[in-house]
Order: sequence, then structure tokens, then C-alpha cells
Amino acid sequence: MSEFATLASPYSMPAALHGDVDLTDPEGKTRSRALNQFLAGVELKAFKMAQAALRNEDDALDAVQDAMLQLARAYASRPAEEWKPLFYRILENRIRDMQRRRTVRGRVFAWLPFRGEDDQDEPDPISQAPSPELQPVRRLELDEAVGALEKALGALPRRQQQAFLLRTLEGLDVAETAAAMGCSEGSVKTHYFRAVQALRAQLGDLYV
Amino acid sequence: MSPVNETATEFERNARVVLERSLSRIDARTRSRLNQARQAALEAASRRHPRWLRGTTLMPAGAVAAALLLAVVLWHREPAGVEMPLPEAQGSSMEDIDLLADSEALDLLEGWDGPFYEWAASQTDAIGESNG
Repeated sequence: MSEFATLASPYSMPAALHGDVDLTDPEGKTRSRALNQFLAGVELKAFKMAQAALRNEDDALDAVQDAMLQLARAYASRPAEEWKPLFYRILENRIRDMQRRRTVRGRVFAWLPFRGEDDQDEPDPISQAPSPELQPVRRLELDEAVGALEKALGALPRRQQQAFLLRTLEGLDVAETAAAMGCSEGSVKTHYFRAVQALRAQLGDLYV
Repeated sequence: MSPVNETATEFERNARVVLERSLSRIDARTRSRLNQARQAALEAASRRHPRWLRGTTLMPAGAVAAALLLAVVLWHREPAGVEMPLPEAQGSSMEDIDLLADSEALDLLEGWDGPFYEWAASQTDAIGESNG
């Protein structure tokens, strides 16, 4: 299947149901709470996925924020069990838009004599500090494994990376992953299998 | 299950542990921004008008348009619908309507300067008498 054959009818985005839910009435408030809970549960994973694809923290945050907004505005009325594949589908579309825009911007800037070296701000050491909940040695091992896995993930083709993260990190099943990726279940299995093969070839068995 | 699959499962399990560890390394600033983004999304969703109101958002414009249409229809129907008291007076009544409908005549009426016209008439009469 083509890399971008994502708009085939069975996998296309369902129509947005503007106006079918009112988050200010009692039923709407319950739904709003459920939506809040859902978004809180996926935001970190979504950020990691966006970061792996975009390799830029701010862009990843923007992509996740846009996906949250679109889900809340257009799909809050959908059954809650549909939110996860929908959310990741929206996020993937947003990531792809940003990648395209970045490609165009790169082409334009390639013609300019001076290219700004912005976004080189000093990282804030306090905000960058990891949460201290593990023993130092164990943490160090895991951190090394995280670095190696993130690097290997970054080298994967986008669809393989997406299939691997949706299945392994988010825990979606094949059907949900197919809905999120906008492709067939067979394609998901193929992308996922290739991703695992490539990662294992690079990382070994990743014993941690 | 084949050994290959068993290894793959083990690999996936380890990968999941590593990826979850990577989530715990996300810094406080990013977590805060994600939280803000979530609140903004929920706020945006709740700011939308209630369903019963959404169908009426264009009501004022529609009401104005309907009122204008009604006024135009009545304006055009009014001359035909006016009951004239006497058949011989119908012609003069129609002239009155024409006069009223004539914006220039209304302008003249609004700009009526009675004392000036009375003075002009008296001047004309005085000239006529002196000549006669």
C-alpha cells in the first residue's frame, strides 16, 4: 500500500459532529470530565510520538495542542471509545502538515544567504530535571536504553515509527492502530513487523 | 508460539518499559504546557453555544430581512388596496399618493419657507398694481 494511502473511505475521518454536544449542560459536564481524563491520559504519549516524528519540542507541543483542540471541538460528541484512534489520527494529520510546511520552509530558506540559527536557547536545568523515583543505577540503565531506543526510533521510516509507538507505547490493538493510521490492518502488521525487526537489529533484545 | 515470536514479545515488553521511562523524563515545563493545552481545548469546546441557540444565531438577520420584505410588499400593494370614498375623487387621490411618494416633493415640503413665499407673492402683486 502506498505510504500516503490514508484517505481510503473505510479509514477516512468520520464527519465532525459540530453542535451535537453541549459541554455546559449536566450531561455535557460529565462528558467534559471524561474528555479531560482522556486527554490527560494520552497527552504525554502523544507528545513523545510527535517529538519522535518532528524532532522538535515546540513543534511537538503545537501538534498535540492542535490535536486536542480539534478533538474537543469536533469530536467530543463521539463515543468515548472512539476518541483514542480519532485523536491519534488527528495528531498524525497535524504532524504531516507540519513536516510538509517544514520541507517547504527548508527549500525557501536554502536560497537565502543568511540562515538564522535561532532556537538555541539555553535549557532550563530545573525544568529539565527528571522525576526522581528510581534508584540511580537503575535510572541510569533505563536512561541509556531510552536514549538508544529514541535514536533508533528516529531512524525508522515514519509509518513504521508510528505503528510501533501506537502499538507499544499507547497499547492500541491492530484495528485501532489501523484507524489511527488511516490504513488497513494488514499494513499495520507489516509496518509494525518491519519496525520491530529494524529496532532489534539495531538494539539487540533491549534487555532492561 | 515460535521462538522468534517469543523474542519479539520480550523485546516489545522491554521496549514498553523503556518508552514508559521516557515519559517520566518529560520535564515539568512541558507537562505544564500540555496541561495548559488540555485546559484550552476543554475551554474552547465548552465556549460553543448551546444546541438550541445555534439554530437561532441567524434569527435577527432573518427577522430584519423578513420585515423589510413585508414592508416592500405592503408599500406596493397599498395604492391598489386604498378605498376611495368617491369615484370622481380617485384621480386627485392618486395624484396625492404620487406627490407623497415623490421624494423631491417631500424635500420641498420639508424645506418650506412660508414667510419667504408670502413676501415674494406680495412683491409680485405690488409690481402688478404699480404697472397697472
